[in-house]
Order: sequence, then structure tokens, then C-alpha cells
Amino acid sequence: MEDLENNTTVFSTLRSLNNFISQRMEGVSGLATPGSSQSSLQIQYQQRVQLEEQAGQIHSKSQLLQVEREKMQMELSHKRARIELEKAANTNARNYEREADRNQELLTRIKQYQERETEAENKLKEQMEMNKSYKKSMETMSKKLQEKESKLAEANETITILKGKISELQWNIMNQEMQMTSQDSQKQELMEQLDVQQKKWQEASQQIQTLQASQSLLAEYEQKIKDLEQKLSQQEHDAVIVKNMKAELARFPKMERELRQLREENAYFREMKENNGLLKEEVEGLQRKLERYEKVQAQLVTVELENEKLLGKLKSWEKLDQSTGLNIRTPDDLSRQIVALQQRELVLKEQNSTITNSARLLEKARQQLQEEILRVQSQLLDEKKKREQHEALVRRLQKRVLLLTKERDGMRAILESYDSELTPAEHSPQLSRRMREAEEMVQKLHAHNTELELEVEMKVLKSQECTAEQSTVITKEEVDTLRLKIEELEAERSKLEEENRSLEMKLEKLTVQGDYDPSRTKVLHFSMNPASLAKQQRKEEQQQLQEECERLRELVRVLEGGGSIPGNLEGVGSFQSPQEVAELKKQVESAELKNQRLKEVFQTKIQEFRKVCYTLTGYQIDITTENQYRLTSIYAEHQGDCLLFKASSSGGKMQLLETEFSRTIRELIELHLLRQDSIPAFLSALTLDLFSRQTIA
Amino acid sequence: MAKQLGRDQQGITLRGSAEIVAEFFFYGINSILYQRGIYPPETFTRVQKYGLTLLITTDPELQNYLNNVVEQMKEWLYKCSVQRLVVAISSIENNEVLERWQFDIECDRTAKDERAPREKTQKAIQDEIRSVIRQITATVTFLPLLEAACAFDLLIYTDKDLAVPEKWEESGPQFIANSEEVCLRSFTTTIHKVNSTVAYKKDSFP
Repeated sequence: MEDLENNTTVFSTLRSLNNFISQRMEGVSGLATPGSSQSSLQIQYQQRVQLEEQAGQIHSKSQLLQVEREKMQMELSHKRARIELEKAANTNARNYEREADRNQELLTRIKQYQERETEAENKLKEQMEMNKSYKKSMETMSKKLQEKESKLAEANETITILKGKISELQWNIMNQEMQMTSQDSQKQELMEQLDVQQKKWQEASQQIQTLQASQSLLAEYEQKIKDLEQKLSQQEHDAVIVKNMKAELARFPKMERELRQLREENAYFREMKENNGLLKEEVEGLQRKLERYEKVQAQLVTVELENEKLLGKLKSWEKLDQSTGLNIRTPDDLSRQIVALQQRELVLKEQNSTITNSARLLEKARQQLQEEILRVQSQLLDEKKKREQHEALVRRLQKRVLLLTKERDGMRAILESYDSELTPAEHSPQLSRRMREAEEMVQKLHAHNTELELEVEMKVLKSQECTAEQSTVITKEEVDTLRLKIEELEAERSKLEEENRSLEMKLEKLTVQGDYDPSRTKVLHFSMNPASLAKQQRKEEQQQLQEECERLRELVRVLEGGGSIPGNLEGVGSFQSPQEVAELKKQVESAELKNQRLKEVFQTKIQEFRKVCYTLTGYQIDITTENQYRLTSIYAEHQGDCLLFKASSSGGKMQLLETEFSRTIRELIELHLLRQDSIPAFLSALTLDLFSRQTIA
Repeated sequence: MAKQLGRDQQGITLRGSAEIVAEFFFYGINSILYQRGIYPPETFTRVQKYGLTLLITTDPELQNYLNNVVEQMKEWLYKCSVQRLVVAISSIENNEVLERWQFDIECDRTAKDERAPREKTQKAIQDEIRSVIRQITATVTFLPLLEAACAFDLLIYTDKDLAVPEKWEESGPQFIANSEEVCLRSFTTTIHKVNSTVAYKKDSFP
């Protein structure tokens, strides 16, 4: 078909070409004539254009034809294809059925296979499970095996260790057996040494015993030596004592003499002391009397002054009697008069108070009555007003009543007229007219009524105003007075309020400070309360301190005076604390001890000194009385031979006093004292003289 | 303790209120004596009360005196015949009153006739008492120092018609001449109300 088509196109193109060439030739020929170039060109151009258009048309036609042929061919081919397709479809359907059958078979087979597969899977699973269980059991078994193997290994290890230990122990045992043998040998050596030592010890103990015996003998000898030495020392002591005793015995007679003299002196001194004491007491008594008399004198003077003053007062009092003219002689009368006057005064005061009370009560009553009057007046006014109002109401009501009765009568009349005129005539328009007329009447009457009421009210008001004006006219004065009173009362009220406030403030302050209302409360406290106890203690302390103070002052005065401490002041020591007392006592004791020791020492020293003086100078010097010295020579022939010297007050010059012995040695006195004026020369000459006499005799 | 628990459940009766107030006075007076140095601090010992550590005296004479007064106060509180309790601190030397602690008591007399106890917990009352005692301790900061040796006295303001018991006597109110007053807190047991104030002598130096 295509070749045909191609041929047709080739033919068509050949034809067109031929056509064109022909036309060209014509056209070329047409060119030979150059004369009509332009128009021929145009014509050629137009011819070409027409040719081209024709060509195009033809071309398109040819194309159309080709397309139509193609379409036909396509349709044919379509039909053939359709038939073939139908055949194919049938075959396909048959194949499909076959395939479906096969499919079903295959499906059944698949199902069977699937069932078998599931069974197989189940079996597999069971097998797997069995496998797993077997594996687990295997594992457990293997674990057990491993444990057992490990245990075996451990056991083997322990066995090896134990074997090692056993070997070590055996080695140790061996060593110890060796040591044992060595130690046995050492033990035997030591035992031998022990025996040797024991023998030595026995020898040593024997030696010790011998030594101890010798030591005891030594001790005994030493003791004997000590005893002998002690006896020696005692004998020496006794010898010394014997010597002392001899010397003392020699002194004995002298001591007795001295004792006698000392006793005499002692007695004398005691008497003197007693006299002294008595004299001192007398002096003190006299001094006290003196003081008392001086005090009494001073008091006398003051008493005399007072006496004069009192006399003067008495005289003035007596004059009073004369001046007042009353019958007054004694102070009792005066007091009686005064009492009477006071009583009169009291009575008068009572009367006064009663009168003031009654006046107040009366005033109060009056005020109350005034208030009542005011109240009553106001009530009266109110009542009057009410009465007038009521009367006006009554009048109004009466007028209403009259109007209403008139209405009623009118209405009744109308109704009667209507009732009387009840005929079958046409009432309705008449009735309605009459109704309207009646209604109008009623309305007019109502209006008239209201107007009248208004008038009445106006009249009432006017009347009231008139009455009010009248009342104001009448009571203006009262109102003014009332207003004044009100102002005064308000001023008083304000003042009272202020006072009240200030009093309340004061009251509050006082209550806070502790004030109370004596009529309602009272204040109590415990008798034995700490404040009062403290006060009492304070007082007692003060008293004690004052007493102590006074006693100490007396003590001070006495001590300053220089007198001895009276016995009653020694009680001062009791006020000092016991500790101080003990301390002072100790100090006193120690001082006394010191004193005694000093005395003893002084005595011994003095005795020594006197002895020395006696031995050296040959004279014993005694003090007989104040400033008188008695000398006794060592070589005196008689006991009573003594010289008396008197010392001057200063102690510088000595005077010889007459004694029996001095009369015998007048020559010496004249020589040494009167001429040479030397007492030591006299004394030494005397000793020489006496000594010479003694030796010669 | 069981009695106090029972009281908690039952509420406040007149007798219970009297006991509470009397106890408060005992501990309050002890605190004042300690704080103001009326007695030496070593004569006080500590106790626990109202949730505080309070100090009370160990001096037997003083304890005896306080117990007597507190017992009497309890009776009077039950009878609602006491109006005021005053602790007057005075100098021993010149008997001048230097400080006055005043406790006003307002008594609700209707409580005598009531049968049912009032509703107020023990704890609430204790809290109020605790705050009052704390304030007493705090007042030490502004009260002037008591330099001289002082003694105290307890004055009780009662109704005029009350019988004066043995060992008690009437006395003056012991005012302070030139005083400065400070009001402290109050506490109430719903039957008794106690207001506290302290008055002290104004110093001569401003």
C-alpha cells in the first residue's frame, strides 16, 4: 500500500514538475519579449503564485486521499486484529480455565503441603525442644562433670599440699629429735654443775653460820662497851653534880637570908599596892561625883531658866483670866470652856449641813416641779392641737355626710320617679337621657363637694394659722426664756462633759498607778512579809551598831585618859569577832611568854653581874628604898655592918647616911669623903682596912 | 497530768481557772524576784513550765510565804472577791517604793452559776501566759537599775466586805510618788482576765 502511495506521490510530483517546466517555458518565452517586463513579471509572479496554490491544493488533496486509504487499511487491519484477538481471547479463556483448574489443584496441593509443613514444623519444634532439653541436661551434666573435675583437681592439690606438709613435719620432727638429744646432753652437764654448786652452797652456809655467831658475839661486846661508857658518863655527870651541889650548899645560907628579905619586901609591896588600888578607886569615885555635880549644876541653871519662863507663862495665863472676864482660875476651866465652844461649833456645823442639804433637796424638788410644769404645758398644747384637728375633721365629715345624704335623697327621688313612671313607653331614650342627666348631676355634685372640701381645708388652715399666730404671740416670751435656758444648759453641759473627760483621764491614770475606790475595795497584805522582815532586821542591825559604837567611844575616851580598863569595858572584846579574839589572845600569850623569858634572862644576868661586882669590888650593893643603896663589905666583921648611900634625884651625886658601922669608921670618912671627896677611894680604903684586920685576926 | 488532760477535755471551770491564775502568779512573782535581783541569783533553781525554763526560789522562808499567799489567792479567786495583786518593791533603807507590778483581775461572776465548763484549750491559755512571762523578762531592758538593797511586799486588793483572815492585815496602797507606767499583755481563761502593768519611779535625771 505504501509503495502505491509512494508511487502516487512520485507520479504526482513528476506531473507537477512537468507542469512547472511547461509553465517555465512559457514563462521564458514570455521573457523574450522584454518589452512587457514588468507586467509579464507580475503575471509570471501571479502565475507562479497560482501554480503554487494549485500545487498546494493538489498536495493536500493527495494527502487527504492517502489518509483516507490509510484509514481504510487501518480499519481492515483493525478488524483482522479484532478477529485475531477474539480468537486469542478464546484460547486465553480456555487456557485460563485450564490454568484455574490447575491452580485449584495446586492450591489443594499447597494446602496439603502446608499441613504437612505445619506438622513438620511442630515436630521440628518438639524436636528442638527435646534438643534443648537434651542440651540443657547435657550442659548440667557437663557442669557437674566440670565441678567434679574441679573438685578432683582441688582434691589433688590438697593432697599435694598435705604431702608437702607431711614432709615438712617429718623434717621438723627430725630436727626436734636432734634438738632433744642435744638438750639431754646439756641437761646432764647442768645437773653436774648443779651438784657442784650445791656443795659450794653448803660450805657457804656453814661459813655464814660461823660468821653470824661471831657477829652476835661482837654485838654483845659492843653493848657491854656502850653500857660501860654510859656508866662512865653518868659517873662524870654525878661528879659534876656533886661539885655543883657543894657550891650550892655553900650558897644556901645566903639564899635563905635573901629569901627572907625578899618576902618582907613582897609583903610591903602588896600592902602598898592595895593602898594604891584603894586610893585610885577613891579618886575615880570622886571624879565621877565631880562630873555628876557639874552636870547637875548645869541642869540646875537650865531648870531655873525654865522655871522663870514657866512662872512668866503662868502669870500670863492668870492675867488671861482677868482679861477675858470669864470664871477661869485653873487650866481645867479653860479646857472646859474650849470643849464647850467646840461642841457649840460642832452643833452649829451640823445645823449648817442639814440646812444646806434641805436647801439642795428643795432646789431639786423645785427644778423637778418646773420640769413637770413644762412637760404638762407642752402636753396641754399638743392636746389642744389634737382636739382642734379632731373638731375640724368632725366638721368635714359632718358636711360630707350632709352632702351624701342629699345625694342619697336625690338618687332615691330619681329612682322613685323612675319606678313610678314605669310605663311601656319608650323609656330607653328617656331613661338614658335621665341617666346622663343624673350622672352629670353626680359629677357636678362631686366637683362641688371637692371644691367645698378644699375651701374647708383652707379655712381650717387659716384658722390653724390664726391659732398658731395667737399661740406664738402669747408664748414668744416663753420661747425666749426657754432658749436662754437651753443655751445656758448646753454651756453647762459642755463644761461638765469636759470636766467629766478630764476626771475620767485622771481616774484611769490613778487606777493604773494603783488607786482604788475605798468604799468598795481594801488592800491586804501578809503580816510576816519580806519587806517588814527586812526593815526589822535593818533596825536591829542599826541598834547593835549604835551600841557597839557607843561602847567603843567610851573605850577610846578611857584609853586616851590613861586609866585602867574597867571591867565592864572588857566586854568590848566580846563584840569583836572570835577569830580576832583568838589571835589577840595568842599574841598576848606569846608576848607574856617573851616577857617571862626576858625576865628570867635579866634576872640571871643581874645576879651574875651582882656576883661579879661583889667579887671584884668587895661590896654587895643593895637597893633598900628609892635612891638608897646599902653596901656590905665582903670582909665585914659583923653581919649588920653596912653603909647607906643616898643618891640624888638625878643619880649623879651620892651622900653617905649615918649607920652604926659608919660611926666606927669616922676617920676614913673624914679623910676620903670630906677632904678628898672621893667615894671610890673611901671604899677601897675601907676594904683594905677590913682585909688587913681580917688577915691579922 | 491525768487531771490536766481531763481538764483539756472538759474545758475551763471556775476552780480550774482559779488554779491556773494562782499558778501564774506564783511563777510570775518568782520571775520578777529573779529578774530584778531582789534575792541573789544563786538561790534560784530552774523548772520547766508553760514551755519555758523558769526560775523559782529555794529559800524556804520565801517559799513558805509565797505558798501561803498563793493558796489564799486561789480561794479568793474562786469566790471572785479579789480585784488586784500588786508586787511592791521598796528600798530597805528609806522605805521608798521604787517599783510596782500591778495585775488587775476581772472576774466573770456568772461562771459561778454555770454548770457547763467554758470552751478554751489549756494550750491557748498557756501560750498567752507564756507571752506575758516573756514580756516580764523583757522589761528588764528598760526598767531602771535597783542599786540599793530592796525588799518586796505583796498587796491584794479585795472587796470591802471580805473577812480578813488570820495573819493578814490591812495596809496602804504603797503608791510611787513620781511614776512612769507601762502596760503589758493580758491573758484570759474566759472566767478570769488578768491585765498586767508595771510602774516605776521616774529617774531624777531626765
